[in-house]
Amino acid sequence: MNNTWGDMAQYDPVTWNWVIAVYLFMAGLSAGSILIGIGLRWYSKEKAIESAILKAAAIISPLAITLGLACLVFDLTKPFEFWLILVNYNFSSVMSIGVLALLLYSPIGIAYSLIVLRDELTKRKLDFLVPVAEALMPMRKAIEVVLFVLAIGVGAYTGFLISAMNAYPLLNTAVLPALFLVSGLSAGAAANAIGALLMFNTHSHDTNLSKMHGLELPVMLSEIMFLFMLFCALYFKGGAAAAALASLTTGVWASVFWVGVVGIGFAIPLLTMLMPSQTRHSKGVMIAVACCSLTGVLALRHFVIYAGQSYIS
Amino acid sequence: MSKRYVMVHDENRCIGCQACSVACRSENGVPEGVTRLQVRVEGPFGDAPHLHFKYNRVSCQQCENAPCVTVCPTGAAYVGDDGLVSIKEDKCVGCMYCVAACPYKVRFINPETKAADKCNFCKDTRLARGELPACVTVCPTDALTFGDANDPSSEVAKLINTKATYQEKTHLGTKPRVYRIPTKRGGIQS
Repeated sequence: MNNTWGDMAQYDPVTWNWVIAVYLFMAGLSAGSILIGIGLRWYSKEKAIESAILKAAAIISPLAITLGLACLVFDLTKPFEFWLILVNYNFSSVMSIGVLALLLYSPIGIAYSLIVLRDELTKRKLDFLVPVAEALMPMRKAIEVVLFVLAIGVGAYTGFLISAMNAYPLLNTAVLPALFLVSGLSAGAAANAIGALLMFNTHSHDTNLSKMHGLELPVMLSEIMFLFMLFCALYFKGGAAAAALASLTTGVWASVFWVGVVGIGFAIPLLTMLMPSQTRHSKGVMIAVACCSLTGVLALRHFVIYAGQSYIS
Repeated sequence: MSKRYVMVHDENRCIGCQACSVACRSENGVPEGVTRLQVRVEGPFGDAPHLHFKYNRVSCQQCENAPCVTVCPTGAAYVGDDGLVSIKEDKCVGCMYCVAACPYKVRFINPETKAADKCNFCKDTRLARGELPACVTVCPTDALTFGDANDPSSEVAKLINTKATYQEKTHLGTKPRVYRIPTKRGGIQS
């Protein structure tokens, strides 16, 4: 029916759409991937050789953040004026703080990738980059530490970005940054596994790969715990917040949550852990499970963005 | 900030005629398909024959603690010297953070400027000339009152001090400056 007061299109509660969900996924993936790569390097005894996991992370992390930022820029209504955001800062805005973090994170991430991939550069006819990698080599430790800290910042920032909007009870929760950080870690681990197995032909029984595999269960369990905490917080807050729990039972985003996040993201990887070790560690199964984890994390970002904006207090 | 511009919408007097909405569109050159101001006719409420409607003004609430200003990364959304929440069009990149963060959903992207847009109490046009906002001037039932609430002799100050008013979503701490006088018709609510 027509109404006398005019078009309602601009009042659609969902302002940020799938492009932003993809950006949040990419930023989490980038941060998680490099956090796992660097973390495993610090815990491994063999530091002279670059592990396949770290090499995969060095490719995935800068690539993911670049694609994510491209999504972000082209989602602006004035994409060619994006530079305004780089020269004007408002420190009460989480986005401004994030821009600053990304401004440091992206180039440092690329610099670190050059260091890690210095041997690969010659193999792939990118010799002109070798002197740059050599020049950066002495600063490796410092770059590594700074990048690690910035990656934690970038991973959590995507959560802070949307939790800052207090009109949406599902988004305005303290656990969201933590949830995004751990789910970023699980996406990062999955992507690193795929990269290591496909690009660097790692053996599926590789020590680093098994170490990373060992991380998957605790990471997934903390993800489940944070999700549980998120919904508990809504339930106990009552009112509009409790009404937002309907996101779990009604509408298409409830299906995305139960099928995508819980079914594909959690259940399939957890169930494969029950498989005999031989099958479980075959290349095919490992890649399939990693793809499931990635799908789950992507579904989680979509669920949070869409369901989050659908319930307003 | 010596001035505190507020608007009072008397929902008893409002008849939902949409004159305010049309005046706003013409005064501010608001493009087709988007609006700075809507008066939504909600209801009917109550039992026949004692039915009544609610006239809900949907426009910028000029929050004293505006979420759109807090989240804006470039400072394009700002609070002016007059206390009004305004937008610097040329600083806006269209990230839509303010559109998403506004609890009243009254911000939109202007299809012509590609910048965020909303009601600013006709700040640049009528207010600058010392006139009242277009919607206030045109209202046939005098349902709208506008002025400086810091001036005790002003009509708005008197209204706020004598009538029962409410503001929307005060629980979010935004301190909106659009006051509403609720409809008194209808039965006693328990």
